[in-house]
Amino acid sequence: MSAQDTGHQGAEIARRTERRWATLSVIIIVAMAVIAAIAGIHRATMPQARVETTDPSRLHLSGEFVESNLGSVLESNGAVTVRAIGQQYSFTPACLLVPAETPITLRATSADVVHGILIQGTNINTMLVPGYVSEQLMRFERTGDYLMPCQEFCSFGHEGMWGKVRVIDKAKFAELAKSSGRLSCVGQ
Amino acid sequence: MLANRKLVLAHFWLAFAVFGVALTLGAWQMFIRSPLGTWLSNPELYYRSLTAHGTVMGYVFPTLVAMGFGYAISESALEQRLVGVRWAWAGFWLIVGGSIMAMIPVALGRASVLYTFYPPLIGSPFYYVGVVLVVVGSWIWVALMSINLRVWKGANPGKPVPLAMFANVAGSYLWAWTAVGAALELLLQIIPVAVGLKATIDAGLARVFFSWTLHAIVYFWLVPTYIAYYAIVPRAIGGRVYSDTMARIAFILFLVVAMPIGMHHTFGDPQVGAGFKFVHSAFTALVALPTLLTVFTICASVEIAARLRGGHGLFGWMRALPWDNPMMLALAFSFVMLGFGGAGGLINMSYQLDSSIHNTQWITGHFHLIFGGAIVIMYFAIAYDLWPHLTGREFVDLRLIRTQLWLWFIGMIITTFPWHWVGILGMPRRMAYFDFADPAIAPQALSVTFSAIGGFTLLTSGILFLVILARGMRSPAVEAGAYRFSLAVHQPATVPLALNTHALWVALMIGLTITNYGYPILTLALTEGTSVPAVYVGAQ
Amino acid sequence: MSARDLFTLTNRHFKTSVGITAAIFVVTAIVGFIVLPFAQPWVQFANVWDAICSAAGVPQRSAAAAAQAQDKRLSEVVLTSHTLSRPNQEAIGRGATLAQRCAICHGPTGISRADSPNLAGQYAAVIYKELHDFRSGARTNAVMSPFATGLTDQEMGDLALYYAFLPRLPAYHPTPQLPKPNIVIYGAPMRGIAPCGSCHGSLDNKVGSPWLEGQSEAYMKAQLRAFAGGDRRNDISQQMRNIARAMTPQEIDEAAAYYASQPPDIVKAVD
Repeated sequence: MSAQDTGHQGAEIARRTERRWATLSVIIIVAMAVIAAIAGIHRATMPQARVETTDPSRLHLSGEFVESNLGSVLESNGAVTVRAIGQQYSFTPACLLVPAETPITLRATSADVVHGILIQGTNINTMLVPGYVSEQLMRFERTGDYLMPCQEFCSFGHEGMWGKVRVIDKAKFAELAKSSGRLSCVGQ
Repeated sequence: MLANRKLVLAHFWLAFAVFGVALTLGAWQMFIRSPLGTWLSNPELYYRSLTAHGTVMGYVFPTLVAMGFGYAISESALEQRLVGVRWAWAGFWLIVGGSIMAMIPVALGRASVLYTFYPPLIGSPFYYVGVVLVVVGSWIWVALMSINLRVWKGANPGKPVPLAMFANVAGSYLWAWTAVGAALELLLQIIPVAVGLKATIDAGLARVFFSWTLHAIVYFWLVPTYIAYYAIVPRAIGGRVYSDTMARIAFILFLVVAMPIGMHHTFGDPQVGAGFKFVHSAFTALVALPTLLTVFTICASVEIAARLRGGHGLFGWMRALPWDNPMMLALAFSFVMLGFGGAGGLINMSYQLDSSIHNTQWITGHFHLIFGGAIVIMYFAIAYDLWPHLTGREFVDLRLIRTQLWLWFIGMIITTFPWHWVGILGMPRRMAYFDFADPAIAPQALSVTFSAIGGFTLLTSGILFLVILARGMRSPAVEAGAYRFSLAVHQPATVPLALNTHALWVALMIGLTITNYGYPILTLALTEGTSVPAVYVGAQ
Repeated sequence: MSARDLFTLTNRHFKTSVGITAAIFVVTAIVGFIVLPFAQPWVQFANVWDAICSAAGVPQRSAAAAAQAQDKRLSEVVLTSHTLSRPNQEAIGRGATLAQRCAICHGPTGISRADSPNLAGQYAAVIYKELHDFRSGARTNAVMSPFATGLTDQEMGDLALYYAFLPRLPAYHPTPQLPKPNIVIYGAPMRGIAPCGSCHGSLDNKVGSPWLEGQSEAYMKAQLRAFAGGDRRNDISQQMRNIARAMTPQEIDEAAAYYASQPPDIVKAVD
């Protein structure tokens, strides 16, 4: 390209070059969108399928988020459901106990303001918005302890809102689950 | 022709003064939560500072720059005195009043809710009303830009609207519409609760409204920078814009697709349907298009400048560029930061990748790199370029200017790269302190320390910037001549109506808002029982 | 071409831009609302309409899952920031009459001479909640439970407003002010403990949490231990048990001693 080339021909060349670049840009963008969609299906990381509402100030009275129902439960199909709430300034249970190599559904909500659940070292990450139930699929391959900080500003004690997740061996979890209660690693 | 220099100078000075204050707060925040600082005995001070920093940097500073620059563009690109100068001053004073009104409760710790509001947390009503006044002040500017363009068109029927003004007005329309989301949230939801008329608020709906504003506001911040890329840089380095049409298309694309994509901020939210999340994700991918086009066009324009200066070779022309010209330097830095920041943005765009970094320090790193880096460094360049025309005085010490730009670039890299990294490690945002003594997060300590050092580098650069501007007010007088914008290689004699007016694009923008936001907003607004009790911060 | 012609199909730009935009929207909508929902084997939809509605985010009431029966009584109080937030003279007057029977333990001015809690100037929501919990059995105490049993909701509200109205006075046995221990100032982030003041008044008040300055050291120590050990469980959704369990015995002692030594004016003024 030469800058002196200001004739009609030059304009035509410029237009063609631009069009090629624009086409390439569109291809890049479409490819990224397709990759994202396929990865979501393949790796089972999709946004929650349904919007569910609940009353945050009455969570402790009835429904699935009453205190005795919080924690992990082994379902009949071998999957695990974990129920938890976020509130100023802790998660209940403060320590989630889950088995490794098991499909887990986390169902959680907030009792007051907006919080967030983030499990470090994983891609488990969801907002807790009061009035709505968050649902997130998760699966841990490695046993061990993970940190679970609140990731959204929830007023002046936010810096102290750190929970934990303990991933234990699948068989060990099944053994513990026989007691039929809700499991957590609180106080251990 | 810059007749209303005082007006432009007032906007710039206020913008950079509040920028200086917010920058100082930012550096303090970086320091105090790093291993270098000691834990605050009152964490609320951190959130207070964060609220002030975010409110100023997000709402006040870029708005003032866009306004001041917009008035300058209107007068110099259209070569026509600004119509409605009194209104312009009214808008300015509204912003001053609104900022003071908002900052008093923040300074007193009565509104430490962060600039993102996030109800059901509720602070002092004065804070919210102040923010509304700032927005209303800026809407006056939007109206004036539109009116000035209309007046010019009446006097110049059929002529192509100068690119700088076309882009400027596109940016103003984008802002007018994108601010509506937060305005609705404030006026319909938050303020009634803050003043005690209502006791409950739908937190989920509020987040949807806010996402309407929060993403496209970034493109409003970006528009002055892109105008500088297209309309100032080629002229300043002795080149030409490769394509006037492509430039118009880039701004049009921003206008149309910057707004209906905001729900990628709510990927992790339970109140938004997965279908709309996908639609927004796809449209978010589209917004990369104008940037890809711009990178191409600007690189070509720069190459033209280099070849005009005798550069040759496939890449050898780069050596011929005027690297001692601050504008060249700023552009190069801006592009590097835009490249890294944009790549990060592509990660935030998809639900799957976003879920590993959502609301971690990665996000703060990302928008500091894009906004504080790529965008703000061009604000500096704009100010440097305009200053002699506003003050009638020249900058004597270009070396100091270059140092300032270098410091800003280096500081921003040192700040944001480790910031991204700790985000990947899962460090959450917006915490007043971290227990780095704990082995589980001890590995993050070093990165956070680097970020804090970067923060002080930025502060140094910011102070230097203010010093340079202040010295520029007292340096030797110079006849700066008329303020001009770049010409295109093929300066168009006529432009298709669609590329010379905004109506079609504004209509598309509003149409996409209805398709992409209409249903989620309506369904949440009409569903009973989703409002939750307000939680008043600092309440006793 | 005039502005009116801009929005006609003869305008190439109009046709192209609207066409492309509409096409992108339709394609992404089909993918987002129909293809992707059914591509997720782990979610079941009744039919296409159900899939579309779910993807669009039609809110559904959370299904009443079969919850486990609560094995012990827990708090049934619903608290919001507006609970008893409007004092009125009548209620305070009624409360004053009722409060005569509380004076033996809690003092005639709301300041206890023994190790019962001081109530003068306490947040109304706190007193209301504790009374309610004593009545329902969520919290038990040999002395308090019988007193609370006979109270109606309105009487509890009146009492709460009365005590909240009383001026905050120094403790009956003031002790020299102690320096703030780290657990109170900073909490312990990695153990999930926020600074005490972020709920208990000096920074912010989480509704239902009392301010603690000048309370009896023995009382606070006993309550913290009871929360930690699970003997006291009337904190809604374990909000205090989560904290107390994570505290060391030494931190419990330090926090109790610190708060007991503070004059009540340390708490921010009530507006």
